[in-house]
Amino acid sequence: MKLMTLEFPLSRDIMTTVRLVTGGVCSLVGFDLESAEDCKVCVTESLLLLLHGGCKTATIEFSKGTALSVLISGEGNGQDGEEMEEEISVALLRALVSDLEMTREGSLTRISFGFGL
Amino acid sequence: MEERELFAQYRATHDLALRNEIVGKYLYIASMLAKKFVGRGVEYDDLYQVASLALLKGVDRFDETLGVKFSTFITPTIAGEIKNYFRDRSRLIHLPRRVAELRHTVKQAADKFLTETGRSPTPKELAAELKISEEEVVAAMEPQGVVSLDRPSEDGAGSAYDLIPDPDDAFERIERKDAVQSAMKCLDEREREIVSFRFGKEFSQAETAKQLGVSQMYVSRMERKILEKLRENLRKSMAD
Repeated sequence: MKLMTLEFPLSRDIMTTVRLVTGGVCSLVGFDLESAEDCKVCVTESLLLLLHGGCKTATIEFSKGTALSVLISGEGNGQDGEEMEEEISVALLRALVSDLEMTREGSLTRISFGFGL
Repeated sequence: MEERELFAQYRATHDLALRNEIVGKYLYIASMLAKKFVGRGVEYDDLYQVASLALLKGVDRFDETLGVKFSTFITPTIAGEIKNYFRDRSRLIHLPRRVAELRHTVKQAADKFLTETGRSPTPKELAAELKISEEEVVAAMEPQGVVSLDRPSEDGAGSAYDLIPDPDDAFERIERKDAVQSAMKCLDEREREIVSFRFGKEFSQAETAKQLGVSQMYVSRMERKILEKLRENLRKSMAD
């Protein structure tokens, strides 16, 4: 079941707002504080990856099934960002979730992960 | 020197100078990750220290022959150590004061919940416990800037520590006592008796009624009337 879709221009200024919304969604599905904070970190890292990839806008879809599924996508020119920062973001995402999927097809980047309910 | 070569040399020699060089080279990862976990109730400096120690341990454990980059290896190691640290200890003061107080209250309630049930509470459970909205719980969890308790306050009048309300502030206590005594003057003798039993000796309404030889309903009605009188009197004195 789709809970919410957010579409916004991607910039560092909007991160806090997105984190607050993510916190609200986590509250809605009944996450404890630690899971909610982890989810916020994952959303932030995913958006940073999109930013590094040159994306100007981003979309986040929150869906609820047996887990809270988060799909984050953005379109950009695929410019190379800070390689080391990207590596750390990906490693951190992998440390916090077990089902991370990342694809880059042309200018479209998609990152998805789930948090168990 | 290349990453792989550096680690191979360290593994072969266990030279401390070389280890320090490696740690220095990757300390920025500790800093970067510590920043990502700010806002959960622990100061950045503490997180940076935990992350740095994890980095130090990670340098000894890293095996460059496995073909994994050190940054890929060390990130989950540091994240894991930071998360363990959160489970052990978490405390933070945020500004402004209202947010700081709310955050402190939410944290205390979360700790109490964890102690009693053995699990971390949901924001909904905390909201119900504290009688505030879920949004307030969520907002209180969101970082508004982390500061040291010793940092000068924004108006330069003292440190952040001075802004923390003291639950046993003598001046505030005197002020409260003075305000209550002044407000009590607007009550008649019977009303003062009821206040004394109910809020001084902390008798129940039924016990108070028994002491005064009246019904519990009478005490209840009088109590509402008295509290309204006191509120009105305090409002007036504050307006003056």
